[in-house]
Amino acid sequence: MSMASKSFIGLAIGLGVIAFASAGFSAETETDASKEWSFRHHVLPVLSKAGCNGGGCHGALAGKGGFRLSLHGYDPVSDHYNITRDAGGRRTEYSDPARSLLLTKPTTAIRHKGGKRLEPGSKDYQVVAEWIAAGAKPPTDADRTLERLEVTPKTATLKKGDSQSMTVRAHYSDGSVEDVTDWAKYTSADETVAEVDEKTGEVKVIGHGEGAITVWFSSRVELARVTSPYPNSIAAEVYEQAPRQNLIDDLVLDQLQGLNLKPSPRALDSEFVRRAYLDAIGALPTPAETVAFLKDGAPDKRQRLIRDLLARSEYVDYWTYRWSDVLLVNGRLLRPDAVKSYYNWLKDEVASNAPWDELVREVVTSSGDSLVNGASNFYAVHQDPETMAENVSQAFMSLSIGCAKCHNHPLEKWTNDQYYSFANLFSRVRAKGWGGDARNGDGKRTIYVASRGDLIQPRTGKPQPPAPLDGEFIPADSTRDRREYLADWLTSPENPYFTRSIANRVWAAFFGVGLVDPVDDLRVSNPASNEALLNALADFVVENDYDLKALMGLIMNSETYQRSADSLPENRDEQRYFSRYYPRRLMAEVLHDAVADITTRPSVFENLMNRDGSKTKTEFYNKDTRALQLYDSAVDNYFLKIFGRNKRDITCECERSNQPSMVQVLHLSNGDTLNGKLRHEGGCVTQAMSGAADDAEVVDRAYLLCLSRYPTEKERTGLAKMLTSTPAKEKRLAVEDMFWALMTSREFLFQH
Amino acid sequence: MLDFLSEKNASICGGSHLSRREFLQVGALSAAGLSLPQYLAAKENNGVRPGNDEKACIMIFNLGGPSQLDLWDMKPNAPREIRGPFKPIRTKSPDIDISEILPLHAKIADKFSLVRSCHHDGAAVHDAGWQMLQTGRRFTGGIHTPHAGAVVSYLKGRKTDLPPFVVLPELMGRGGGNLPNGQAGGFLGKAHDPFALMADPSKPNFKVPDLLPPDLIGAHRLDRRRTMRELVDQTVKSFEASEDARLLDENFHAAFRMMTSEQARSAFDLEKEPRKVRERYGMSRFGQCCLLARRLVENGVRFVTINTFLTVFGETTWDIHGSKPFTSIEGMKNVVCPLYDQGYSALIEDLHQRGMLDNTMVTGLSEFGRTPKVNPAGGRDHWPQCFTVSFAGGGVKGGRVVGASDPIGGFPAERPVDPANVVATIFESLGLDHTSHLPGPAGRPFGLVDFGKHPIKELFA
Repeated sequence: MSMASKSFIGLAIGLGVIAFASAGFSAETETDASKEWSFRHHVLPVLSKAGCNGGGCHGALAGKGGFRLSLHGYDPVSDHYNITRDAGGRRTEYSDPARSLLLTKPTTAIRHKGGKRLEPGSKDYQVVAEWIAAGAKPPTDADRTLERLEVTPKTATLKKGDSQSMTVRAHYSDGSVEDVTDWAKYTSADETVAEVDEKTGEVKVIGHGEGAITVWFSSRVELARVTSPYPNSIAAEVYEQAPRQNLIDDLVLDQLQGLNLKPSPRALDSEFVRRAYLDAIGALPTPAETVAFLKDGAPDKRQRLIRDLLARSEYVDYWTYRWSDVLLVNGRLLRPDAVKSYYNWLKDEVASNAPWDELVREVVTSSGDSLVNGASNFYAVHQDPETMAENVSQAFMSLSIGCAKCHNHPLEKWTNDQYYSFANLFSRVRAKGWGGDARNGDGKRTIYVASRGDLIQPRTGKPQPPAPLDGEFIPADSTRDRREYLADWLTSPENPYFTRSIANRVWAAFFGVGLVDPVDDLRVSNPASNEALLNALADFVVENDYDLKALMGLIMNSETYQRSADSLPENRDEQRYFSRYYPRRLMAEVLHDAVADITTRPSVFENLMNRDGSKTKTEFYNKDTRALQLYDSAVDNYFLKIFGRNKRDITCECERSNQPSMVQVLHLSNGDTLNGKLRHEGGCVTQAMSGAADDAEVVDRAYLLCLSRYPTEKERTGLAKMLTSTPAKEKRLAVEDMFWALMTSREFLFQH
Repeated sequence: MLDFLSEKNASICGGSHLSRREFLQVGALSAAGLSLPQYLAAKENNGVRPGNDEKACIMIFNLGGPSQLDLWDMKPNAPREIRGPFKPIRTKSPDIDISEILPLHAKIADKFSLVRSCHHDGAAVHDAGWQMLQTGRRFTGGIHTPHAGAVVSYLKGRKTDLPPFVVLPELMGRGGGNLPNGQAGGFLGKAHDPFALMADPSKPNFKVPDLLPPDLIGAHRLDRRRTMRELVDQTVKSFEASEDARLLDENFHAAFRMMTSEQARSAFDLEKEPRKVRERYGMSRFGQCCLLARRLVENGVRFVTINTFLTVFGETTWDIHGSKPFTSIEGMKNVVCPLYDQGYSALIEDLHQRGMLDNTMVTGLSEFGRTPKVNPAGGRDHWPQCFTVSFAGGGVKGGRVVGASDPIGGFPAERPVDPANVVATIFESLGLDHTSHLPGPAGRPFGLVDFGKHPIKELFA
């Protein structure tokens, strides 16, 4: 050992003894009782802050260097044991705390692979040293509990370049309050708006928009919001005079004003009609429908269109398809008859506009024959309690709780115990019949609920008392299906996750971006871009008894939804506050069907693609089937694949991609889908040419059909001229090429 | 100057060596003129050291996470539940012993080197490691770091009519952790996303889907289509603020260039290879991807990523949990290893014989390794705490072992290497200055790798 490190120890020993009374934490002096450092509330936070119990260090499942701590301190009892008893008790030296391995290692007084984590003499060091000197008392059930964190400022409006420091106070069950600013950990939810020093909590604003700072302390998460207005100057009248239809507009305009963003004006009728059809029913308006809407002079024509669209049969196809993404209707996971049963059940629900809470209750509590009660296939796709729990949470609350299977969720409040309580709700779900191999068998599975059985929490080796995440424990003597308790809790208006999740999913379907984005991730540390709006939408859902059509009507009737997709200089830099409608590529199935509808050539869907690349024939689909009517994501189709359909392997909207790619462009240019359908005699090319007075009329017809508008004068004359100058025998090919040009344009491929 | 914080000072528990703030401060100092000439020179060259235009990289990504203990970091003296069922064999390099289930590797062990002390501190889920090993960073605060190939695309651009960055045979799927897989342009923009082949080159009559216009559409019609499309597309100004819309335009330009290029057509044409060569690579999807990667590099592609598998769900992969629906240890021995052994060894040999190996780095990466202990199902589970990655060519000396694991392959014992070191090593081989900066979101500068991270120098020289 070098001289330097010897003297370190000397110094450390001195401090450990004489600095006993000089407490580092201000609020600590408030009461005499709290003078003693608590393992749970002081020592573990010090170790957490120093990173000792991180996943790369001693918090790893196997520990590190023979010393194991629970990840981020989720298990104080075993941590205390490992610190004070394990390794022959060498880690704590009561009579001379500074010689404890718990201090000599992180100060690198002796070799520590993790580097220097504690400064000798620092207040963190003193906390640990004094705790040891006082006998290294263990955590007990009588310890006060942490009730909440208070972060100040909770909101702040700052300019780019500004800094702001934060204060974090912990409120405990005994009424005590402590300043834990130095022990909290800080991360920025959006590093394009603000960054934060992970140690000190000093926030620096580096961009514009609304940022959030996540504060973590003792497995609690709290947020502070930072608003950094854009450098525009916009008169207050802009917001005062902006038209408003409903609560959405009020809350969006409030936020836009706070951020200095100017709302784009209303979209033209021709833009609106196309947008409304695509978003509500996943299909383009026909030329006749477009013309009728454009000619209609009544002031309420948009409201009427919205109402009519939500009542159409295509609505049922489209929304059944979207919810099938969430429920994983997938022929690679289920046998064909089961896929059909699952799908038909869902389609009936959508057709009757079943309230979302009732639909979800049916899924969650389903039993019986999977070919009779389609909903019970949820328990064929997910076959063990943990998977059931994780997917219920993901699908209906947009919460990923998988992390908590092994340790407390690092970004959420969910603990390891809560995970097993939750999973234990499913421990009595049993099945007879088909065993889950999607390649063989009849798919006939009968779900029933056993009267006994519990899931063991591996950490304790005992059953974890069943409870919905943060809900009440189920009475031990209850014989009721535990999933009924779950459904009560899940679909309760008091469960914010459930209503926020569905409100956010519906919003995202209409705007291409969720209020919380990604929509699969509703954890506290991923806040909504407009919290007030998401809360208001959730309230609306509850008030309207989970009638999703009512929510869709509210959204579509808002000025916010009806804004132009044209950006203004004062709003072009933002992508999530809804100052305009954001253009986005059509989803794979909608684009496919648009091509098929325009060309009057549906695709043939006759094969399922198996995992190993082989194909199996399917007889389910007739020659008129549209992509949005497919039951199953396993249906083989190259177009749908490369345009990014949801594979439905896991419960995640992230499996769908609406992103353009070169492969898509090659397919549109050279592939058989578009070219093959355009070539078809008697299709749109023939119809556009037949009986047209002149080439300008051919152009007009093609525009109405593909883009739901008339061409501009420049477009009309330009294209007509090219058609007119084409020799008669080649004319058809030229019209085909014009259709190709229209259907590969951004205006066609994008929703706008 | 950017070297003052040596690798030794950085602890192996990642995450908090240096805050981004500290990193930026140093970056700002450098830009203010306090830096060494090396830094300024790199800046002037936009991060690309001159004279490296022939450099390329083939990144083989072993989805699933191969077992270090059963393949390239064997522990024959460890207890049975650690050492597993296989035996090590001698190789052409005196320093490398390798598993008996990789016999062809043994014959070329003088050409590749192993790093046996790779680790990362992300979650033990597939996609966390995919993201970290391909980009050098874990995604936090909504910042998506670009794939190493996208960085090359951004800094060097395309060399020929072929795209600079290609993924074979398809992009990787989702990994179950709902995290981005890192196989994208990230904050550099989708224009630097890879071109994904979307086809299996081992299939009979393999061709790039839709690379060529159908016969019915000749040059005259192609021309007319383009003219008409330009006319139609002119009206749309509203999309300027949409990255996806701009991207679509770029896709059209790039696709047209490739469609009309004789070189592109030829590069993807595996029929031009003698039967014997194709068979040497193995007629598996992976083998033919390796061969195609060589042809692409010959024709000017700067970065090729080969996904050995597309997903870990329901496929026989490196993900040897031992229980269904995952792979068993026998599945690895009988299916995965033979095709990998054959394709990899053929690629290295072929590049060497053609004199391309010096300019082409081939890396064998994975998201993690496997648990030291064999589990009750006879398999091994996820283990990011220690695993082995391989490097060959591109200036790397073969036949070496860098770093070492502890006696059970559980943790790095010497010279810990993290994802940033791995990615920095790739940049080093390609002649990119890993201390230079990329424009991040909102104009923030981002280092090619985090500050204080360096290439694994022991592999070179």
